[in-house]
Amino acid sequence: MTDYSDGEHLRPAPSQHMDEVDHRIVAHLRRDGRMPYKTLAKELGLTEATVRSRVRRLEEGDSLRVVAVTDYEAVGYTMMLAVGIQVEGRPADVVAEDLAKFDEVFSVCQVVGTLDIETLAVTRDQEHLSDLLARLAKVPGVRKLEPSIALDVLKNQSNWVPFGHGV
Amino acid sequence: MAKKQLDEQDRNILDGLAKDARISNRKIAADLGITEGTVRSRIKRMESEGQVRITAMTNIARLRNPTLAYIWVEVERSAQCDDVAQKLAEVPEIGFVGKMLGRFDILAITLVQDNAELARFLHSKITGLAGVRRTECSLGVNFVKHDYRMSRIVES
Repeated sequence: MTDYSDGEHLRPAPSQHMDEVDHRIVAHLRRDGRMPYKTLAKELGLTEATVRSRVRRLEEGDSLRVVAVTDYEAVGYTMMLAVGIQVEGRPADVVAEDLAKFDEVFSVCQVVGTLDIETLAVTRDQEHLSDLLARLAKVPGVRKLEPSIALDVLKNQSNWVPFGHGV
Repeated sequence: MAKKQLDEQDRNILDGLAKDARISNRKIAADLGITEGTVRSRIKRMESEGQVRITAMTNIARLRNPTLAYIWVEVERSAQCDDVAQKLAEVPEIGFVGKMLGRFDILAITLVQDNAELARFLHSKITGLAGVRRTECSLGVNFVKHDYRMSRIVES
């Protein structure tokens, strides 16, 4: 059974954005995003109207989105890779913004460590892989790419993500 | 292992779900000029075959000091790679585990709320695992993009 809950450590203290009840609603929607309001209300011992208005408030406040996540293989991508990037002569955050514009690059994070940026990307085949790496290498400020290919993904749940970038 | 490809009708339904995945089957059906039953059965099929998962995403900006940690793991012996990866996948706090070809052997990604928490996490959950030789971390300072529509759907 896949665990779609958040680690306990990621439960932010009740805030103006989300209280305990909101977190319980989110936990149910993580497991089944299309769970009917009626079922949700029953599970949580709340009225349907309460659940509806809470979900709407969370969505309108940009705290929650219920989305359809697609498996990359089901849409024609066969390879996933992690590409670490060393930056030179240009601020890393600016380079990261440029990398975020690539459709194949689905995750970009500026980091501290031996590299400056970590990205995750998908490609259709080896030719596309080679082409993508060539295009990434040409982004101004990119000194060196450190790519590695995922042989097998055992787990992939990203529950907390930045909203923005047109997604 | 290869997953079945989505056809045009599937993709149209996904487009219908793109803005708000809680939209009713009836609304999608009306927009596409197909029956509600078709929408329902296709969404059900896409989910049961692991092509699509409909789930709640929460805004990382709502966490205090969210720090994404990319933990690169080198195993002691190559034969231990599967075991170590499996053990890491069982840790609830870790959101991503991949067996990698190139830099290191395994990539594990987790989200912590400060550096002290990361240090505790590394010591209690990772460096002590049998087969872990060494780890190297990239610590997120600015999470620029994550297209949550694209993922690897893994049934365990």
